Amino acid sequence: MSENKILFNSGSFDGLSEEIGKLTNSEDSKLRLTPDNADSGLAKLVLTLVELIRKLVEKQAMRRVDGGTLTDEEVERLGETLMKLEQKMEELKKHFNLTDRDLNINLGPLGDLM
Amino acid sequence: MDLLIYAILSVKNDSEKLNVLLAEMKGVAGADLAAVAFESTSVVVSNIQRADLAADRNTAIEYAAVIETLSQHFALLPVRFGSVMESKEAIISMLEKNHPDIQKNLINVENKYEFGIRIFCQPEILRAELRAKSEAMYKNLLPPATETKNSATWDWVNKKLREHRLEELLIAHVDSVITDITEQLDRLNAISKIKKMVTPTTIIDGVFLIDKVLKDELIHIAGDLQNKYHGLNFILTGPWPPYSFVDFTVK
Repeated sequence: MSENKILFNSGSFDGLSEEIGKLTNSEDSKLRLTPDNADSGLAKLVLTLVELIRKLVEKQAMRRVDGGTLTDEEVERLGETLMKLEQKMEELKKHFNLTDRDLNINLGPLGDLM
Repeated sequence: MDLLIYAILSVKNDSEKLNVLLAEMKGVAGADLAAVAFESTSVVVSNIQRADLAADRNTAIEYAAVIETLSQHFALLPVRFGSVMESKEAIISMLEKNHPDIQKNLINVENKYEFGIRIFCQPEILRAELRAKSEAMYKNLLPPATETKNSATWDWVNKKLREHRLEELLIAHVDSVITDITEQLDRLNAISKIKKMVTPTTIIDGVFLIDKVLKDELIHIAGDLQNKYHGLNFILTGPWPPYSFVDFTVK
């Protein structure tokens, strides 16, 4: 390039380089399906979708709880269900040897999935 | 032999200027550059064997350098890296079919450059600040567990509710920064595209199109915003060719 493209940076260049690296080199969070890892790759893909939906449901539930329109009994029932879903998800992640980071797929320029 | 496409230019009556410029430049792998013209537009191309086009850093830099130099002289629409067509006739046909969209896009980017703004935060520090604010705002959470209530469930719900409220505060904070930025950019008649919460540390990733002569004004605005938001790290980049402002799909 013909000129310096950074017009303003209030932080250090090392810090900037690290942040750009996070945006472009999220190797762990990419889906890599090959003939050798079809089982674990598929598990990662399915659990990613399940986790996304679970988090969306949880977020919506917390909005309703925060809105104060639910009775104590309704909150308790909702809470118990969501808590068990979270526990079940943890078991599945452990079973397939996956972490939260594994399920947060990097969508390139769109950022992380969750 | 195929043709590697770099950009679509608004040449108007300056075709001679373009030819002189192309004669002084080289494309990917040192290839000569040429223009394929249709009415007031031209497509800049070089010869390439499709199989020889390497998708590596050096090739991408060579490719971007061509677009960069052309953008300093002409209004242009950058083309996606690696775009190849088989002949000049195919390119002219593409230009003919897409003429209205190309003209509309070229008018939007005329005399303008793209700039980028990224705002990073230290998530732990920002969240700690917002957490303190959240605790002050919401002293009363849900009822504490009693004998009739399942305490584990209520503890879980309260924990999730705290996280939810913190997240809402974080989004509101980022929205207020975006509002501030867009208000400042509106003064420069900028067209902007802003994404928020791209990663936990990159809370804002924006691009905008402004008049070439307003670069210094923009740097001044970035400095003012940085002074206002000490906990955030502002990075302003540019000028770039209008990579993010080509809004049409080739028919």
